[in-house]
Amino acid sequence: MTMTPSRRRGAALAATLLSAAIVLTACGGDSADTEEAAPAETRSVTADNGTVTVPAAPQRVVTIGNTTLPLIDMGGKPVGVTEVGASEIDLIPADQKATYEAATSLGSSGDQVDMEKLAGLKPDLILAQLPDSEFEQIEKQLTSIAPTVFWGLDVEWKALAGGLSEAGNVTAGLTDQRAKFEAKIAKIKETYGKLIGDTSFVNVDRWESSDPGTFSVADFGCVEIAQDDIGMDFPKAAAGADPLGWTSLPFEQIAGLSKYDVITYPVDAAGKPKKSFAPVVETNTWKALPAVTSGRALGVFCPGNNSYGPVLQYLDSLDAALASLPAKE
Amino acid sequence: MPGPRRRLLGLVAALLVLLALLVLSVMIGSTAIRPSVVWDALFHPSADIDQFAIRDYRLPRTVVGLVVGVALGLSGALIQALTRNPLADPGILGVHAGASFAVTVAVGVLGVRDIRGYMWFAFAGALIVTLMALALGSTRHGRSPVAMVLAGVCVGAVLGGAREALQLTNPDAFDAMRSWNAGSIVGRPLDLVWPILPFLVVALVLALAVSGPLNAMALGDELAAAQGVRLAHTRVLAIIALTLLAGGATAIAGPISFVGLMVPHVARWIAGPHQRWIFAYSVLLAPILLLASDILGRFVMHPREIPVGVVTAFVGAPVLIALVRRKKASGL
Repeated sequence: MTMTPSRRRGAALAATLLSAAIVLTACGGDSADTEEAAPAETRSVTADNGTVTVPAAPQRVVTIGNTTLPLIDMGGKPVGVTEVGASEIDLIPADQKATYEAATSLGSSGDQVDMEKLAGLKPDLILAQLPDSEFEQIEKQLTSIAPTVFWGLDVEWKALAGGLSEAGNVTAGLTDQRAKFEAKIAKIKETYGKLIGDTSFVNVDRWESSDPGTFSVADFGCVEIAQDDIGMDFPKAAAGADPLGWTSLPFEQIAGLSKYDVITYPVDAAGKPKKSFAPVVETNTWKALPAVTSGRALGVFCPGNNSYGPVLQYLDSLDAALASLPAKE
Repeated sequence: MPGPRRRLLGLVAALLVLLALLVLSVMIGSTAIRPSVVWDALFHPSADIDQFAIRDYRLPRTVVGLVVGVALGLSGALIQALTRNPLADPGILGVHAGASFAVTVAVGVLGVRDIRGYMWFAFAGALIVTLMALALGSTRHGRSPVAMVLAGVCVGAVLGGAREALQLTNPDAFDAMRSWNAGSIVGRPLDLVWPILPFLVVALVLALAVSGPLNAMALGDELAAAQGVRLAHTRVLAIIALTLLAGGATAIAGPISFVGLMVPHVARWIAGPHQRWIFAYSVLLAPILLLASDILGRFVMHPREIPVGVVTAFVGAPVLIALVRRKKASGL
């Protein structure tokens, strides 16, 4: 197509006006935009994806995977979250539940994050705890949106809580919680030291996803605190082997729990067997166990084990359970 | 074709194998329990902890294995006779898809987590979807098996997609359904079986009633009609019977697809083309396969157990391939 001189002039005029409009628009930003462009204060945090430069005081934090509840527990207020199971949400305090519900839901799990929605939130920090393989798939997209701090699933809960508080700038809440935790551990060790030394424990569990007619000898979750921090003797998987709790055992094997002095099992906040565990306590085999008939099966409440708040609730429950233990015959 | 005497002897042998497996299923398990304790548990019951393991777990799973096996074997024989398709299994009419979709709705949307609750959804889902296939497969010229199968496959595909969409948006529901989807007879108490049993008995009677007409229909619709067989009537009764059988079995144990496909083949090789004999053999051979697979599944990954639906596929597929290579594939 050819252009006449007058059309050419018109096109040149239009191009000039458009360019001017773009330049004026760019220059016409308000003072807030100018302030945003200024470099914010930053610091470095180290996690499983290396050393990451994050804002010193992040304002718009997004949590993915298992980082949501621990951050909220320490006083953080994420703007976006991946969903947490209803059974877990039911166990947290009302104010924390409100914080969770106020955040934008970004997907059902860490590997189902809606990236468009996430980018739309304009986060200044992303905190994620996921399986390594899932993080590898989304790492580039996340880091292109905001500084991203990642932990794998094998990180110890105290390290995760410390890392989250540092990255999310919620260290004030952590210091107080940590002091309470250490005091509680010391009290339990002092009060029940001899009993703990003389007793073999086993922790059993069952989840919503467990196959009907099966249970597990659980060696992960709150029981790790009882084992590692207090020194209680629970069965543990051999080094390098899968956790015992990953193996679903048929109810027929409940009788095998007879060899332990004390059984711990999960209860809700009211002290009743957790809904998913109720089928176990209803079996005749459970009712006939020596530990059960002698009052040495202890219901323990574990609202979570990824941050100090729920862990402190667990320790209170464990303390009360140990106090109720009848003397060994 | 084997004579009646050989067929009868084969049937007696199958019955003896089944009886042996029933005993074995109660005697052995993932926990070592002495035979004397097993005996006492059955005939001198007490509150001994090991006796509970026999009465509360091994005995129910053995009964469930027997009932589910009988239902799956007979429903497989019925669908293959009805469609004259040796590759048909009850799932082809949408039984499994209907049951799975209904269970997904129950678990994922309505929050039903107990098998006592979602079992009824599975049963209703299987029945409704099969009736839909029956209605969609009905034409002005009557009910054609091909049209019904196509309708079943289509409805199954749609519901399969809807089920996957529901499960993807609700991973908790997917987790909760994992074992049911794999097909298992663990953790199914007897009170799960009793309400379904009357439906299975009715289906068994219907199956016996249509075995003669189905024999005639194997020769072709025209010849069967000439012999006085009411084609549409027979097909409807056969579909009701196989839906009750497969729907009941699926409700209790989850979708176990391979048994209904494989067992009627083996029955046909042993007994020849006569439907009554095929039905009788299927009723015995299917629980044999199911119970043997279940017993095997208790040990191969001890202390954990493998769902019977997984083992039947592992055991059944090579056996079927071996039989196909040794014998001429059975046509219908």
